Amino acid sequence: MLFSSLTFLYYFLPLTLVLYFLSPKRLKNTVLLLTSLVFYGWGEPKYVLLMGLSILLGYGFGLLVEKYRDKKAGGAFCAISVAVSLSFLLCFKYADFFLVNLNKAAGLALPLPGLALPIGISFYTFQIISYTADVYRGEKAQRNPIHLAAYVSMFPQLIAGPIVRYSNIAEQLRAREHSLKEAALGIRRFVIGLGKKILLANQLGELCAVFRASQEKSVLFYWMYAIAFSLHIYFDFSGYSDMAIGLGRVLGFRFLENFNYPYISASVTEFWRRWHISLGSWFRDYVYIPLGGNRKGLGRQLVNILVVWMLTGFWHGAAWNFVLWGLYFAFFLMIEKLWLLKRLERSRYLSHIYTLFLVMISFVIFHGESMGQVVSDLAGLVGAGGIPFVSAEAVYYLRSFGVVLLAGGIGATPFVSALFRKISENPAGGKILNLAEPFALAGVLLIMTAYLVDGSFNPFLYFRF
Amino acid sequence: MSAEKKDRVVCTMFALLLAGGLLLCFFMPKNRYSESERRMLSTMPALSAENVWRGRFMADFEGYAADTFPFRATFRRIKALTALHIFSRQDNNGLYVWDGFISSMEYPMNEASLAHAAGRFRAICEKHLTQENKVYFSVIPDKNCFLAEESGRLSMDYHEFESRMKDLTDFAEYIPISDLLDRDDYYRTDTHWRQERIGDVADRLAQAMGASLSQDYEVHTLKQDFYGVYHGQAALPLKPDELRYMTNESMENCRVYDWQNGREIPVYDLDKAAGRDPYEMFLSGSLSLLTIDNPGAETDRKLVIFRDSFGSAIAPLLIEGYSRITLADIRYIHPDYLTQFIDFENCDVLFLYSTLVLNHSDTLK
Repeated sequence: MLFSSLTFLYYFLPLTLVLYFLSPKRLKNTVLLLTSLVFYGWGEPKYVLLMGLSILLGYGFGLLVEKYRDKKAGGAFCAISVAVSLSFLLCFKYADFFLVNLNKAAGLALPLPGLALPIGISFYTFQIISYTADVYRGEKAQRNPIHLAAYVSMFPQLIAGPIVRYSNIAEQLRAREHSLKEAALGIRRFVIGLGKKILLANQLGELCAVFRASQEKSVLFYWMYAIAFSLHIYFDFSGYSDMAIGLGRVLGFRFLENFNYPYISASVTEFWRRWHISLGSWFRDYVYIPLGGNRKGLGRQLVNILVVWMLTGFWHGAAWNFVLWGLYFAFFLMIEKLWLLKRLERSRYLSHIYTLFLVMISFVIFHGESMGQVVSDLAGLVGAGGIPFVSAEAVYYLRSFGVVLLAGGIGATPFVSALFRKISENPAGGKILNLAEPFALAGVLLIMTAYLVDGSFNPFLYFRF
Repeated sequence: MSAEKKDRVVCTMFALLLAGGLLLCFFMPKNRYSESERRMLSTMPALSAENVWRGRFMADFEGYAADTFPFRATFRRIKALTALHIFSRQDNNGLYVWDGFISSMEYPMNEASLAHAAGRFRAICEKHLTQENKVYFSVIPDKNCFLAEESGRLSMDYHEFESRMKDLTDFAEYIPISDLLDRDDYYRTDTHWRQERIGDVADRLAQAMGASLSQDYEVHTLKQDFYGVYHGQAALPLKPDELRYMTNESMENCRVYDWQNGREIPVYDLDKAAGRDPYEMFLSGSLSLLTIDNPGAETDRKLVIFRDSFGSAIAPLLIEGYSRITLADIRYIHPDYLTQFIDFENCDVLFLYSTLVLNHSDTLK
């Protein structure tokens, strides 16, 4: 089930909130677990079993790791747990990719399993790995399987993160407070996230789809596409994170932030401190540091960066363009670490342009459906192949999506939140904002409902009778 | 308002919206049919273990929830107004409004579709016609042809379109008509042309085929407002059109037979003018095969028109020049069955199609 659906907003969410808040404290995690299973099963009924098995194994291994933590067996159980979790991921997400490439390389014709990718498997697998690893590092294992299952399957963050560490919410699973203030903050965050997704990300995605379908490409259109997709992926992903954080807050959880205005970064290094923070910190804590981090000399550190970023790319998808995407960032992170970072500090403007350009190119690589398309998209940005600089189609869509692009550009900076903060610091402004906020949120929610309803618009194609 | 009070209002409002939405979704009566989209709406899927296990129930429920959402038309209007006026989008779901006209942005030209249409027409000629039959072809431009340039919307190259179709239909004599048309010849809220404005087009076609029309018509205006198909789709508050139709002595005396339903029908069905799609008043709308007999004709010439819905408005104007006009819509009847109903001997044949159908010709059988 998607947050940005009528089924979620007007069926699942109200029923879930009623059940959750009517249930006594000791049953809240059970309600959360059951509703999360419905949420997950709505799109993937069969894969609920797979997630259930993953959780059970995580639970069992957690207890074993804790019991034998001080002995060699503890490490072995932790390693087995990680290997089992990764084997599910390999099997369901990467099997086709490996077999296709093996077939190509060795001239074989091994059949492909063609398994559908279970939604959210990358997220919940990483959460289970973090759980057993945290237990190995000294965290107390969760004895209540319902609490652990509620943590892994919790619907706000199940499908698109953020990757919530067990250690961050272990205490909240046991006891958490609910208040009107927290709920109101959560609602505001949820509505803002939904707005980012529906009003900005979806429209920007529409522009990307129009570009892809166009047969009248031009340099201008390639640049519009690159900018639109960079904004689209930001608003889509950060919108989901906002919704997750907001819903978590309504339910009494405090999830860590996942995005912090990444497009104001002045270096690639800074960008990755602001973009998908939960994934970056996961790889740092569970891969980079265990590999030795920066403690074993510069050469080893560079190798570690390369490994981590190749894996980061691969985590995003089972295709070569994702690997290339990860390695691309590894390259620039290494360059920055070695000598560029200091130079970038000299000019904030130039470093912004440098970062935005590299990030935009990275997302062109990211969004390519094949390596061939990546090459052709990158070539299109510089006008290779004799394409015109401008086309009527590009001009039309620039006019049609101009406001969306502008709103996206402004919304990707802290300008709006700074403006609101400034107004609220003024006593009169604060009062006006307080008065307007509930109505603005309700209005935005209704407009988003309108967009969702219109999504079902499907005229009968024979209307021309 | 204090921060604490604001928090209370936010929570209350959110709860009321969600709970209100839930209750309305469950208990508000559901529409079965969408006037604006001219289709049946989804119904509640059957709940069974197998449907749930295979995910069918959930997938179908999503469609049902969206199709039957309370105040759906109002929400669609809010969306259209937001898209056009807040986000300054130039079109909404491919439709745009310019100077009171709603038009679909027909774009780009679909070469494969043109070839498919021409292929279907050629197949009919090869299978059913002989050298004795005179074959004509004409393209009716859609409204976007006249509105796109002045409104800055995208459009096909209509000259290229006509030229391409002309090349592909070398078995027919091409009759150009686009020079006789402008935007005012179309309804503002509908796809179609206005019958009272296409007398000159009918005359051009008739003359090119060797027939003559007196062009002496009486114009009638229906009392009820006409909200065309684009009005519902655009979901915008726009003024309705007037629906007019023309009669003369030939039309009043002719008999129309609907082969699809085995019945006689009027040239202008005034009951349909008050129905879901008032344009269906012209020859009763989407019917696969009709014959119009003109007992008072001063000629024994016969014409077969392969047509789309635009043909319904112009065929009555042409009847004066023929003793019989047969209208075949090969979206609804396979051409192989035509000889059961049509004798092509000594008939002229006109393929008269709008760019809308030619550019999406997968429906042609």
